[in-house]
Amino acid sequence: MSGRTRTARTLALTAAVLVAAAAAAPGAAAIDHSKGHPGYCKTDTGVTVVVDFQQLGGTTIVRCNPQGTRGTGLDALKGAGFQIAGVQRWGEAFICRIENRPSAVEKIPVKGNEGYREACVDTPPAAGYWSYWHAGNNCAWNYSQWGVKNRDFVPGGFEGWSFSLNATADSNPRPRIAAVRPGTGGRACNARAEPKPTTNDPNARQPGSGGGNGGTGSGGDNGSGTDGGSGTDGGSNNGSGNGTGNGGQGSTTDPATQPSDGPVQRPGALPPPRPRNAGAQQAADDPSRNVAFTGGENARDVNDVVREQSGASDLAPWVAAGAVVLLAAGTTVAALRRRRARRA
Amino acid sequence: MGAGSPRARAAAYFLPRDLHPGAWWVWTLGLAVAASRTTNPWLLLTIVAVVCHVVVVRRGEAPWAMAFRIYLVLGATIVALRVGFRLVFGGAEGSTIVLRLPEIPLPAWAAGIRLFGDVSAESLLGGLYDGLRLATMVICLGAGNALANPKRLLKAMPPALYEIGTAVTVALSVFPQLAESVLRVRQARKLRGGTGGRRFHALRTIVIPVLEDALDRSLRLAASMDSRGYGRSGTARPRARFTTGLLMIVGLGGVCVGIYATLDGSTPRFLALPVLLAGLAVALAGFRLAGRRVRRTRYRPDRWRAAELVVAASGVAVAAALFLTSGVDPTNLNPSLTALSWPLLSWPPLAGVLLGVLPAFLTPPPEPTDNADVADAAEKVTA
Repeated sequence: MSGRTRTARTLALTAAVLVAAAAAAPGAAAIDHSKGHPGYCKTDTGVTVVVDFQQLGGTTIVRCNPQGTRGTGLDALKGAGFQIAGVQRWGEAFICRIENRPSAVEKIPVKGNEGYREACVDTPPAAGYWSYWHAGNNCAWNYSQWGVKNRDFVPGGFEGWSFSLNATADSNPRPRIAAVRPGTGGRACNARAEPKPTTNDPNARQPGSGGGNGGTGSGGDNGSGTDGGSGTDGGSNNGSGNGTGNGGQGSTTDPATQPSDGPVQRPGALPPPRPRNAGAQQAADDPSRNVAFTGGENARDVNDVVREQSGASDLAPWVAAGAVVLLAAGTTVAALRRRRARRA
Repeated sequence: MGAGSPRARAAAYFLPRDLHPGAWWVWTLGLAVAASRTTNPWLLLTIVAVVCHVVVVRRGEAPWAMAFRIYLVLGATIVALRVGFRLVFGGAEGSTIVLRLPEIPLPAWAAGIRLFGDVSAESLLGGLYDGLRLATMVICLGAGNALANPKRLLKAMPPALYEIGTAVTVALSVFPQLAESVLRVRQARKLRGGTGGRRFHALRTIVIPVLEDALDRSLRLAASMDSRGYGRSGTARPRARFTTGLLMIVGLGGVCVGIYATLDGSTPRFLALPVLLAGLAVALAGFRLAGRRVRRTRYRPDRWRAAELVVAASGVAVAAALFLTSGVDPTNLNPSLTALSWPLLSWPPLAGVLLGVLPAFLTPPPEPTDNADVADAAEKVTA
């Protein structure tokens, strides 16, 4: 057999295998909007997720992840029905888009690069990224010291995502929705303080966090209210009442400092968790100052929006596949013909 | 050429000849740049198909043209390795678990490394897309080697690029020549009926003759280049030669960094244009110095004619199309893997990539090898 025929056959085979591999990708399974429910969580079970687009524009969305078991911040976000995208480099350990904002076609006026567009390939710039917050019910927002996959959400509490544009570590905007569930206003904040990160290991988990769904969950070491052991005990929110009593333990809050999910710390590595100095603010914001929000009831499926934005055509992939097959056939025929001509 | 009926002119245009190697390299690099801009599997597969088609239709009979198959194998290996690594070192990124392997527990000091365990479709696809992009670029380079005659490329080098060009051409032709050696040694082994043997034995009987062949060949090449006056330092003083070399190496290094940063969207911008321009300036100074003392004449220089322009323009058009779409409509060039779905594709980049197939139809075919001796040798190599 000649090299040409063999080459042609290799080409055809490679093309066939690759087309088959691409075709074998499972069908669309978007994070559906049927997960979670709009608005605040009604009870202590589950966690309320607030997504504040800030300067990106767009109405703030509040949804509830009613999941009773423990889970990470990522589980909360997904369980509430938000459709997110992680950067290609780190996967979902670094969230670059929530509900397709900032989209790939959207220009973000980042300082020093006015026409910046988030491609979600590498770590977003420190001047334009989704900052990650959390709060117990009736507590002030805390800038998370841990990455989204490295800490557990506080059952009955809040998870906040706020787009930080041209802000410093001290001026990151906190979500403009007070972390107070309707009907529970005026009660004491009794969430336990989260332990600070002690290592630089990006994979380190917050002590006491149980991991994804159905994690163990022995929880914290002090008897404070919502330490999330079971996550289903109805009275944990205002139970033991030590929230404000145990020294610096209660609900330290400083909406600032080191982003664990923020700017690049070391190029070439996922930003490590960073400890920060605890502040003293303890009270939640005034709920009457909340910005307008929706439950995202009318939000369209992100996959549809992306399809529309990109001008993608349903036909184009078929044409591409057809072109590949045609070219492979043409290649085989040409190789055979040249070989025959040479033989003659 | 020139006067005559359109038909005659077309006939003259399509008269079999070997195109200028520079034109093929421009086309090849255009496609490689296009591939570097996207991880969309549809686009990458189309680029590979286009490249393979043009190579099979337009390559000559020379040994370096026969090595293209090896680049394809190399590309397949890259894809397999990328996907394989996702299997071995933890591919649990994403929620669609397709394979549950037992995880091998590792000691604490190996924290952050995971062996086997759950494998998700997202991470496998990520490996596939990424590997496909690199494989496509490698195959594009292979196409350049298959289509362009390295010896004529060296002839076409401007005098200023003479020293660098010699090194680059020798380096570029090493791989095809090794490939040719492997094919020849295998053929010889087959003729001797020695294909049985154990694996290790077979490896030794191929590797040693190939290495010996390579050594012989480089000695021969060195001797022939020496006898033709290559590497002649002329009247230049050692210090001047050192300065020239330094300027050129530093300059070309800067150009490489600059071009990389320009093409790769995620590199800091200060590495892009400033470094590129500075490198270019330094390199040009070096070239001027070098060019002043190299005086060569060329025998029957290759000319850029219409067909060459078509080839080069097609390559540049593909690269430009992908650059423009990534500015206007970047959504589809890097398909998101978070919500598992079919990679989307829009018309402009696809149409742009398909422009790359034009050389298969709009260029004259390669010169047939009527020389019985050469054909015979080619046959031997190919078989």
